[in-house]
Amino acid sequence: MSPRVCFLLFSLFLCASCETTSNIKKSVAYKGIYEEKPISILLMPPINKSTNVDAKEYFHSTLLVPLANKGYYVIPPFLSMEILKRESAYDAELFLNDPIVKFGEVFGADVVIFTIIHSWNKTYGNVKVEVEYIVKSTRTNRILFERRGAINYNTTVSGTSGAYGALFDLVLTAASTIATKYVDVARICNTYTFKDLPGGKYGVLNPLEPDELSGKKVFTANLNSQSK
Amino acid sequence: MNNLYVFSIFCLLFTSCVSKKELYFWDKYDVSSYLYLKNIDEKSTQDLITTYEAIISRQNEIRKVVPPGIYADYGFILLQTGKTEKGNLMLQKEINLYPESKIFIDRIIKIQEK
Repeated sequence: MSPRVCFLLFSLFLCASCETTSNIKKSVAYKGIYEEKPISILLMPPINKSTNVDAKEYFHSTLLVPLANKGYYVIPPFLSMEILKRESAYDAELFLNDPIVKFGEVFGADVVIFTIIHSWNKTYGNVKVEVEYIVKSTRTNRILFERRGAINYNTTVSGTSGAYGALFDLVLTAASTIATKYVDVARICNTYTFKDLPGGKYGVLNPLEPDELSGKKVFTANLNSQSK
Repeated sequence: MNNLYVFSIFCLLFTSCVSKKELYFWDKYDVSSYLYLKNIDEKSTQDLITTYEAIISRQNEIRKVVPPGIYADYGFILLQTGKTEKGNLMLQKEINLYPESKIFIDRIIKIQEK
């Protein structure tokens, strides 16, 4: 095989492994976000329709970081949880199809994010999660963006390699808890889903961003602890 | 020509391996906040407080400031553990850094005063 063919095949392999985008520009996929330019986000407690009783907490505790890293002001989760409980608004499902203007008045939130965990199934070395995210405006009550993913997370992949790496992994596996691993599953799902979200007020300004291709509205992905 | 191919492959690999800097440093926030959310006991509260203090003192990422919500949630937990003065100071720091937080922080202060 000639070097030219080798190079072409290798380049195709690299590109294929990164193929996660749709053919739709962000300016179209995120039209509502660009129009309303939200600054602050309220995270509703996730709606858990899966059989894993802890899935709600796995997702709730891992939503702040990816959204703040995109430059948004995220209403502090523990503080908002306290207010939601006091206002009898902790059950997010009750508000999924109702007007949410009140959340803007109480929290100053521009948008509310609903997370629905449809399923969480584990097999040896894998966790399969189906999760849906709905970003809804408190000003106009319209859905600005929604995305649904079927994620297959490989729990056997870790960050080290080689003989010492294998030994380290063994020690790490023995020492770490199942909960920590599952927090990582939720973290990766959230990070992957919001990685192409347009940057917020505190993010890095990129004038070319609206012309970039967006991620898919409905996606499937094979991820592990190394995924970004 | 072969050298050009090798160089191109090296560039492709290199660009795919460069790690981007984040806006903020988070320490072990995800795990600490999960354990607190699940248990709300003395150990998980102390662990979360330690994580908040690490986040507040070690910001060296792009923005070099404390991320949204950290001062506020830290202050809220301090208030709940009876550390009123320091708790209120943290809530004020959140308002100073992120003015959009004032609306709900004023609300939580009123709730605490009742």
